[in-house]
Amino acid sequence: MRQILKQIDQNLERWLLLVFYAMIVMTIGTEVVRRFVLSYSSIWGEEIARYAFIYLVWIGVAAAVRDRAHIRIDVLMQFLSPRAKALVYLFGDLVMLAVALFALYFSFETLTISMKFGSVTHGLRIDQAWFLAAVPFGFTLTCFRLMQSIWRDGGDFRRGKPVYEGARLFD
Amino acid sequence: MEHLYQQDTFELVLGWEFYLPLLFALIMIVLAVPMWAVLGVTSISMLHFSGVLPLSLLGEALFDGIDAFALIAVPLFILTGDVLVRTGLSHKLLDVAEALVGGFRSGFGTATVLVCGFFACISGSDAAGAAGVGRMTIDRLVEQGYPRPYACALVASGACTGILIPPSIAYIIIGLILGISASTLFLAALIPGLLVMITIMITNVIMNKIQGYENADQGFSLGRVWKAIYDGRYALIVPFIILGGIYTGIFTPTEAAAVAVITTIIIGLLQRTITLADFPKMLASSAKVNGVIVPIIAFSLPLAQTLAALEIPQGFVHVMTSMTDSETVIILMMIFILIVAGCVMETTPNIVILAPILLPLAQEIGMNEIHFCIMMVTSLGVGFITPPLGLNLFVVSGLTGTPILKVAGKAVPYVLAMFFVVLLLAFVPELSLWAL
Repeated sequence: MRQILKQIDQNLERWLLLVFYAMIVMTIGTEVVRRFVLSYSSIWGEEIARYAFIYLVWIGVAAAVRDRAHIRIDVLMQFLSPRAKALVYLFGDLVMLAVALFALYFSFETLTISMKFGSVTHGLRIDQAWFLAAVPFGFTLTCFRLMQSIWRDGGDFRRGKPVYEGARLFD
Repeated sequence: MEHLYQQDTFELVLGWEFYLPLLFALIMIVLAVPMWAVLGVTSISMLHFSGVLPLSLLGEALFDGIDAFALIAVPLFILTGDVLVRTGLSHKLLDVAEALVGGFRSGFGTATVLVCGFFACISGSDAAGAAGVGRMTIDRLVEQGYPRPYACALVASGACTGILIPPSIAYIIIGLILGISASTLFLAALIPGLLVMITIMITNVIMNKIQGYENADQGFSLGRVWKAIYDGRYALIVPFIILGGIYTGIFTPTEAAAVAVITTIIIGLLQRTITLADFPKMLASSAKVNGVIVPIIAFSLPLAQTLAALEIPQGFVHVMTSMTDSETVIILMMIFILIVAGCVMETTPNIVILAPILLPLAQEIGMNEIHFCIMMVTSLGVGFITPPLGLNLFVVSGLTGTPILKVAGKAVPYVLAMFFVVLLLAFVPELSLWAL
């Protein structure tokens, strides 16, 4: 059980991102080929790509939080002691958490309104809620990752250990 | 000049509901809060304090705002750049560039900038090019006699062409915001982008002449050029597919990006430089970059809408035109605003927030909107190599461990050179509009 949880903790975003990325590339690729061969393209192909993209974006936010990869002006960091640095990172995480909770609340509201009226998409004619859920889903993951990060940094700060500075955006 | 708003009937009064969120933003930027969260807090607080639009707008904007087929090109162009590096095709491009120009004086420097240009024709993003080219060339530039900070500055400047030479994420975003087709913008941006690349090459040659860093003696041979082109034929096909497809109208930019991803992956698999096992890592790192860029667009959109609801764009036109009647002065002021904005903010939010504010002013002085886009993106491009937030400086300094301010110091001549190109493009609209 612990093993499974650890796997999920390490790879959840990675698996999901892989699926949605592949979905985007393959649907658009197929649509292009289809247009050349059959001179006809479907209305749902573009839709799948668009909605997979939205999932990709909001899950990507969580992945970037996990690796501390979000863009920030960190000139200040050069002049700070390790402990002050930890506080700055903690502050950044708290602000992100506040914004993420706001976003979670309002995107969830949008989702419930859509579910109440049962709106469907234009191409696939399936419940729009499946796609609107991308935003609250992504922010739930993001909030979870932020809380993990705050917990870790808080612990490092109390023990006086140097804080995690993140993986490089380009390895 | 015609004034849209009479001086006595239109008065722009902004109170604390505008300045307080701005103050929040400034404090958070200094305290190294990530950009998307800064924009989120600014959007939420301005919506809340001004009360011009409902707060629930945020929930919709995060979905509807990015629900656009054109935007899907962003992750695809990022991925193409990544695949290009991982398959080793980028090395083939460097070989071609070296064979073409490596034999001349300051040849390897010129080849470095040229390979940045090749990269720019394939990948629409900037940082991926800086990382990819930097990894290949910086050590070799140092071997050729360039000091490391200077080599970093050269790569960072060359990589600015990433968003200036089509295809480009920046032009896709500005097209989306202002409702202009990205293909049209790509056509207009071709000469301006190449102009920036050539200017950077020339700047390097001049710096070299003054400092005497590099003295190549490889000589030029046609045989070597043919061999390099033959070896790199697969890598060279890709830009033709992308740009040819977009310019002839066969593909939309998004489709071209998808085709480019598929082509590079197939080439990599056939040449066995990548395997299926590389995919999770490759896609995850591109998705992460996408997860950094697109949320910034999503959180800037409600802010731009709030500013529009507060009638800031009209007020801005009024304030500027009441200060001066001269078109030249207004253009110079716009460039000044854009370059300063480029220094302290990321390109994406700058485009989303400033394009709707500055476009009415540009139209007021009779500027073509496509010409405006070119001027805007090129001006913002300078911001990639200026501190405190020069993304390319960050990338190369992260790659090599060279302190960012040292690199920034060596980048000064390039900043000036690009500024010169910006002025040229702003005052010679034909450079952008000849093909339209």
